[in-house]
Amino acid sequence: MTIALHLVAGVEFNTLPQQLVNGVLLGAIYALIALGYTMVYGVLRLINFAHGEVYMLGAYVALFTSYFLGFRPDQYPTGSTVANLLIMLLASMVVCSLVGVAIERFAYRPMRGHSRIASLITAIGVSLLLQYGGALFLPTSPPPSISEKVNPYYGQSKTFALAKPSPALAQEAEKLRPATESAKASYQAWLSTHPDANEFELPADGKALKTTAQDTERKYQDAKHKLDTGGVNLIIQTGQAVMLIATVVLMGILTYLVLFTKAGRAMRAVAHAFDSAALMGVNVNSIVTFTFVLGSALAGAGAMMTATFLGTPLSTFYGLAPGVKAFVAAVLGGIGNIPGAVLGGLLMGLAENTVVWLGYSNYRDAIAFIVLIIVLLFKPGGLMGSSKVEKV
Amino acid sequence: MRVKTMRRIPYLNFSALAALAVLAGCGCGNNAGTTDTGTTGTTTTTGTTAGTTGTTAAKRPMPTAPGNTAGDKIILGMVASLNGDLKPWGEDCKKGGELAMEEFKKANPNGIGGKPVQLVVSDSNSAAEQGKSAAEKLISDGSLAIIGEVASGITAQIANAAFEKGIPVVAVGATRTDLTDIGANVFRVCYTDDFQGPVMAKFAYEELGKKRVGLITDQKQPYSTGLSNSFRDFFVKLGGTVVDEEFYNSKDTQFSGQLTNLKAKQPDVIFMSGYFTETGPLARQAREQGIGKDVELLGGDGWDSSEILTTGGDAILGSFFCNHYNNKETRPEVGAFLNKWKAKYHSEPGTTMGALGYDATMMTLEALKTAASLDSKALRDSIDNVENFPGVSGKITLKGMGGNPHKRALVVKLTKQGQAFAKAYEWEQVIPTSGGPSTTSTTQSQ
Amino acid sequence: MKFWGIRFVSIIIAIVACLALQAFEGGRSDYEQRIIVLIGLYITLAVSLNLINGITGQFSIGHAAFYQVGAYLTGFLTVTYFAKQPIHNLGAWLILMMVVGALGAAIAGLIVGLPSLRLRGDYLAIVTLGFGEIIRIIVQNQRILGGSYGMNVAPKYKSIALVWMLAIFCIAVCRNLLKTAHGLPFLAVREDEVASSAMGVNVTRVKVTAFLLGSAFAGAAGALLAHFEGFITPTTFGMDVSFIILTMVVLGGTGSITGSVVAAALLSYLPEYLRGLKGPDGQALQIAGYNVVAWLIAVGVAVALIRWAINNYHGPKAKKYGLYVGAFLVGFVVRYVTSFGLKFIPGLAAKLIPVDQVRMLIFAVALIVIMLLRPQGIFAHHEFSWSWVRRLFTRRPVPQTAVSA
Repeated sequence: MTIALHLVAGVEFNTLPQQLVNGVLLGAIYALIALGYTMVYGVLRLINFAHGEVYMLGAYVALFTSYFLGFRPDQYPTGSTVANLLIMLLASMVVCSLVGVAIERFAYRPMRGHSRIASLITAIGVSLLLQYGGALFLPTSPPPSISEKVNPYYGQSKTFALAKPSPALAQEAEKLRPATESAKASYQAWLSTHPDANEFELPADGKALKTTAQDTERKYQDAKHKLDTGGVNLIIQTGQAVMLIATVVLMGILTYLVLFTKAGRAMRAVAHAFDSAALMGVNVNSIVTFTFVLGSALAGAGAMMTATFLGTPLSTFYGLAPGVKAFVAAVLGGIGNIPGAVLGGLLMGLAENTVVWLGYSNYRDAIAFIVLIIVLLFKPGGLMGSSKVEKV
Repeated sequence: MRVKTMRRIPYLNFSALAALAVLAGCGCGNNAGTTDTGTTGTTTTTGTTAGTTGTTAAKRPMPTAPGNTAGDKIILGMVASLNGDLKPWGEDCKKGGELAMEEFKKANPNGIGGKPVQLVVSDSNSAAEQGKSAAEKLISDGSLAIIGEVASGITAQIANAAFEKGIPVVAVGATRTDLTDIGANVFRVCYTDDFQGPVMAKFAYEELGKKRVGLITDQKQPYSTGLSNSFRDFFVKLGGTVVDEEFYNSKDTQFSGQLTNLKAKQPDVIFMSGYFTETGPLARQAREQGIGKDVELLGGDGWDSSEILTTGGDAILGSFFCNHYNNKETRPEVGAFLNKWKAKYHSEPGTTMGALGYDATMMTLEALKTAASLDSKALRDSIDNVENFPGVSGKITLKGMGGNPHKRALVVKLTKQGQAFAKAYEWEQVIPTSGGPSTTSTTQSQ
Repeated sequence: MKFWGIRFVSIIIAIVACLALQAFEGGRSDYEQRIIVLIGLYITLAVSLNLINGITGQFSIGHAAFYQVGAYLTGFLTVTYFAKQPIHNLGAWLILMMVVGALGAAIAGLIVGLPSLRLRGDYLAIVTLGFGEIIRIIVQNQRILGGSYGMNVAPKYKSIALVWMLAIFCIAVCRNLLKTAHGLPFLAVREDEVASSAMGVNVTRVKVTAFLLGSAFAGAAGALLAHFEGFITPTTFGMDVSFIILTMVVLGGTGSITGSVVAAALLSYLPEYLRGLKGPDGQALQIAGYNVVAWLIAVGVAVALIRWAINNYHGPKAKKYGLYVGAFLVGFVVRYVTSFGLKFIPGLAAKLIPVDQVRMLIFAVALIVIMLLRPQGIFAHHEFSWSWVRRLFTRRPVPQTAVSA
């Protein structure tokens, strides 16, 4: 018990709701990419290692589309609209579908009928090809990123107060305000009489005023921070909320396609029994193509949204880490199982943020695998997968 | 059913024989090792301290191997990350090196001592062991010196390989402090983390008046972990408190978990020691997570890129970081360098490694010009005696410095227009004792 | 007796070759020595992974983890205890470390091998991969192991002979396993787990033994690497290394030891060979951007044609080979035609790419091409043997081996 207490020392229970929300937001993206893995696996029994690279290309397509829309680094039109985002989303989904289909046609289809591990190596080869080949022709130096100006939700977040801090804290902060303001004012007054002074190389009198101003300001801000963290707040970044909504919508569309359309039924048939489906008159090739279209489009959507809303600079290795995480999520949920991928993704997002919350952010990347191993020990087929016998 | 009846393990027959042979072969290797130094099978006790504990400059072992001598042309090798994660930095470093070479050739059309000079760039693929392969390849091709790498982890491998061969190494952007302890053949043109970290700590504590710092470290980058450590130690020494340290890995995209934790610990200021590729998104997400503008963000030279303003946007404006030089500086070297760069590559250098790669190459070439003879040993001595070399990134003096130039560091502020100069720190202002980086050396181990 | 004679001669030749490799290093540079050592280590890694993947039919893709366990265990023990122990013979110490590294890695292999009893196929693959990542992250977080910066192994001890003897030892163990009755259970498990279990094979023991043996060899290789390099970092043992080792196994032919050896040698040498390519002016080779694209298209066309010939042409062999040659020629024509056309795209024409930047691309293309043209791997399930060599000269048809992949 003491050890357990020691391990979680310094944990702030106030932030738990926030961390859980963070986990869901993160998990949604994992889920979106994991869907592509799981669908391809379900149909072809192939781990599509190049899926992460399709995701990377999706981010680049979004970047180029934003350039096309006028958001080049040197020329920013003022303001952006949701329409811009939709164009970018559509562009990366379309291009990713095409890339996915091309990969399937030229690299995976010839390998059908050979050992699955051979297809896996081909997939690794395609993934390397896109990483290193892309680096020759795509901009990488300095790593470009989608302009924050294209993101209408830039810097916006919504705060929900779950529990208010004690009013004493607010009073305390308020008490410190006048002193802060007067110290600041006297420092500003001094600065206005010395227009040439560098803020960081002041003579003694200015320096003294500055120090007083900073000291009072700091006390005031510290009190305000205390007030801020005294309550239980839930902050949701608008961009990430949009991501979550878009993810849910896309998953809804996917579920509809898979469950309620003819192509979806054929897809499930192929996933269930590849050869029998072919014998029953399902055009297997076009169904596999359809699967790659769907999976790659989802990857493109995920890439566009992460690149736009989270602002990470792109490189041709952009898809490596999310690809692996999403793959783990897919296996965790039971690879080949569509609701399983969503569940796996959410679970992983939650697990990662729980570890961070406990103060072990340096083990954040390991927890995904630890959870996976534990789950597989008890459910060898993943959370929602069937554990029927299969052979490599 | 023979399987069941064979109790002994037949497939170990030959294995046992081979094991015997292995033992025999080892004995042979030992003999070679004790009698004939300098060949394979020797024991090497060099660089015992690098990576585990910091040491003072006096302990730098001198390489014993003779090194290379110039043939009919003089080859200088450069190892750069032309593929992989560090490509943006590696490519700039290569561009800088090639620019310096071109300029040197223009100024010295007859080469050095009548021999033409050539810069050969080899790829490290952003991986330490491949960097070592590249360095050894360059050395076996007759390279007099190795210039590079931009990352500390890769440079350590290169320096170890070069030490055994007596080849001088001029590191470009490797700021990790204990690198130069590997041997007396290791130099650099940048300052060290033992300087950079304290500079930012001092700036935060004294100029910004901050007392509670939160750290965010990229645990995959040795650069970042080293910088965080030196910052933390100096900040604590000054009297501040470190409220929390959070970690991420390069290429992560979402940091809200770490930032939520950090916010709960109520820091006054946040030090982000990673590269700009993650710092921009970190800053953006920090503001979105409700960390107000009154909490300044600080960083090291890994922030230096025009791209940080695109990735961070408004969120990163008003932040400070430590830089080697500033594109807007009025020193003539800077303007000349930028003009030449733009003429050759039609853009501004993307990262600070352009200037540092240029400086490293130029300094090596100038040292070669004044070297007593055209071989590695003379070149090493010549580099060790460089005084007041007018580099783009500031004056570089290596004489008596144990490989670490005591350059000044600039603290710059990020504004909409780019980097604005805030304050310059000379080495002596920050590190008061004369014996080098004494304050933080004992804890430099992560 | 003849049978044994040939074997003894083979082994003695191999050992002498190893010693010769060590003895005559005078003319070789560090760089060449390093390549020789890395090839030896990768052969050990590939063959030991082949024992798990190819011979026993498990699907492990995290082999670098065991390599890492061996290397870091050795590094840590050497730094901490070498000076304190009585015998100051580094060679003996390194042998001891190889054993310790092998034991440590075997324990790690046991930890991974146990879940393998319940998991199959891709699930096992992801667990092994995850295990590798967990180990890497744990090492990265240990200050005592140098963290992400890496660990200096001092004193270090370079020995080419030991590296190659380990490789030969590993080959010998796997080969003898494959050729004796004790190997049959392994093959049986690979072919059909349920059936072999019904026939009385102890599937659990076979799987765990395979993991133990395979990881022990990787651990010993790690020990050698730590002492050869003198400096080890967590990134040396990343996922990409695991994938490369797996690629070696599949490329050579799953289950074929000869194939693993050849593929390991090829794949570890290829990137280094490409690094050394020089243009006509003695500078590092540079390739124009449009030429890279043209080559990619040409390779694609040639591969498509050859595949068509393989699948659709069933005439005499000579004509079939003629078709292959024709495909190559068409490829060359395509390459020149497209490069002529692509020259007019300004962005591609002006771009000169040094071969160093293209080498990983060539590596990837080589991988895909080989898999497309020969999915069963270079050697498929064939093995090198003296009788095979003899037959090569007497031109008798090679019979199929009893065991098929």
